[in-house]
Amino acid sequence: MTSILAPSRRAVLRTGLAATSLVAMPAILRAQGASVKLGIIQPVTGALANDGDLGKLGAELAVQDINAAGGLKALGGAKLEIVFADSRSNPETAAQETERLNGEGVAAIVGGFGSGLCATASQAASRYDLPYLIDVGVADQLTKRGLKNTFRFSPSFGMVTKSALERLVALNDAAGKPARTVVIVHEDGLFGSGLAKLLQAELPKLGFEILETVSHPSPARDMANVVLRIRSLQPDLVIPSNYYGEFVLLARTMLQQRVRPKGIYAILGGGASSLRFVKEFPQAAEGVMDCNHWPDPKNPLTAELRKRTEAAGRAFAYNVPMNYSAVRLMAEAIEKAGAPDRLKIIEALSTQSFSSGVMPYGQSKFDTGQNTSALPLNTQVQGGDVKVIAPEAFAETKANFPLKA
Amino acid sequence: MSARDLLPAIVALALLAALPFLGLSGSVLNFLVTTLIIALAGLGWNVLGGFGGQYSFGHAAFFGTGAYATAILQMKLGWNAWGALGAGIGFGALVGLAIGYLSFRAGLRGSYFALVTLAFAEVFRILANAADFTGGAAGLLLPLRPGLATLQFADRKLFYLLVLAFVGVALLISRWLERSRFGAHLIAVRENEEAARALGVDALAVKLRAIALSAAITGAAGGLYVQSFLYLDAGVAYGTWISVEALLAPIVGGIGTAFGPLVGALALQGLGEITKHLAGGIPGVDLVVFGACLIAVIAFAPQGLLGLRPFRRRRKARGERTVPVGA
Repeated sequence: MTSILAPSRRAVLRTGLAATSLVAMPAILRAQGASVKLGIIQPVTGALANDGDLGKLGAELAVQDINAAGGLKALGGAKLEIVFADSRSNPETAAQETERLNGEGVAAIVGGFGSGLCATASQAASRYDLPYLIDVGVADQLTKRGLKNTFRFSPSFGMVTKSALERLVALNDAAGKPARTVVIVHEDGLFGSGLAKLLQAELPKLGFEILETVSHPSPARDMANVVLRIRSLQPDLVIPSNYYGEFVLLARTMLQQRVRPKGIYAILGGGASSLRFVKEFPQAAEGVMDCNHWPDPKNPLTAELRKRTEAAGRAFAYNVPMNYSAVRLMAEAIEKAGAPDRLKIIEALSTQSFSSGVMPYGQSKFDTGQNTSALPLNTQVQGGDVKVIAPEAFAETKANFPLKA
Repeated sequence: MSARDLLPAIVALALLAALPFLGLSGSVLNFLVTTLIIALAGLGWNVLGGFGGQYSFGHAAFFGTGAYATAILQMKLGWNAWGALGAGIGFGALVGLAIGYLSFRAGLRGSYFALVTLAFAEVFRILANAADFTGGAAGLLLPLRPGLATLQFADRKLFYLLVLAFVGVALLISRWLERSRFGAHLIAVRENEEAARALGVDALAVKLRAIALSAAITGAAGGLYVQSFLYLDAGVAYGTWISVEALLAPIVGGIGTAFGPLVGALALQGLGEITKHLAGGIPGVDLVVFGACLIAVIAFAPQGLLGLRPFRRRRKARGERTVPVGA
């Protein structure tokens, strides 16, 4: 039993120290160069480790830049200090780590990745009126729980699918309606099942015929049967919704078996807008379209972030610019609040508008916690790179659709 | 049961009940709540696995059923949270009876029983992931409404005490098993089912009652989990993580003992928290340290922490022996 008492005592001491430092904070803040603690929570171990790792990198780059540019100017140049928490890809740990971040006296928390992780972490934070900015957690309900402390920077599931369907119709119409028949391939988890259900309801109304909906578990190690089925059905369009590993497997198997539909149109697809996929399997990736989170390609900072990500030995994905921008937004909110005071930060987040970093959101403004300016972009892999094809304002190039067989 | 039998349980509970009033931080309190919920699931597993010798790898089936019933009855049918929790415990027991009836009737034992329970839990996970009324893969988010009727307390201490009360009841049940006629029958079935039947023990009835009791306790843990985190999806409810936690706690603490699951859960979760601080900058190092410690415990204390010398000597002196042969 002694081994149990030891950490509690340690934690008591730690919390005590944190509490005293909180009390003493106003005095410290007047001093030049005092730091403001910002909690960053990401799953850097477990099933979502790859995404969490990239998200963490994005947050770190943002803090580097803010501090290099003189810290939080409205707070006398106070530096931002990251307190990092690993949610280990499971919801209990996300809640437990949020409690720890609170104990360490962070002013706000940014991160989450994964709806379940965001759900428990933001709820734990709400006990302490601790502002929580979700980077990506798409479940619509996250901002519908009446939690005053919870804000979502990125578009919700409903917002993404609405844009995705509108743009699919526009894309098809512009090309002279080459696509009519569709096969949906989805994983049986959160993204996939929800999306498949929605597509089954919406696509027929838009003039598409769904030939079949194929579901598979995650992880799946073999897509041969799925691809054989697609081959026999000969759809014009394949709409996949799955995680990175399964998407890559699907695209590779389709290439091997020479199944070339007129288009592969992913919605929140795990691999379709990842440069790792493009780099590792350029042939399979070529021509794949995706409606997903993606930074504004016309913002020069995007290219710079991509270089810095590659310099850190990682392949660029949306997690980096998303968290980079979310942290900058939170820093702006702390500045607008005028102090690292939790209630004032929540007040600022709910009433003011903020610049959106490198994300294509213009001025971000939160309505009951959801960023109403958030917008997904449509991308396509062209010439070994991910290019934005829609909407018009952000497009770098024209869509290559239908693909030549 | 005499007063002396209950004394250790009462002292332990009193100590644990006093803990939150020492001014613990929310982090420690949250840790204790999670640990007690896992201890409760472990106490449930121990009834069947420890006392009954039927090793289940699928207690998630009961945990998840308790959790889903508690959440769904509140969200979809507008039940009172207490009633929903009670019903969750009942549903857990029913699922236990059903799985028990199917597998014990077929005479499944040992690794076959373990595999069947694992399969049931997986089937439940896949069904819950696909069905609409469970919220599908998006899961269920219980609305945050602090209050007595919704079983959500603004003060974490109260929730901690509630979970502790459940752990107390489960401890008393375990203590009762060590002393009662039913418990003796159960242990007889564990040690040698044929011999027990020859002596007139209805092995099937005993095992069925044990699995229902075990499932009810684990179902309660599920219901409390969802009340604490207010979030549930198929992976949380029926995932293998809880089957493993429910089985590790008693194995590490001391299988087939009343206190084993509680000690095991506190030790394991405590170790997990301590190793987190050793992680430094490299993600996952804490998990490696955790695994190494776990291997050490199993290598050097095969009968669990309560089987270590100071505990064992005392038990021998009193002429007790409840640790299973060959465990």
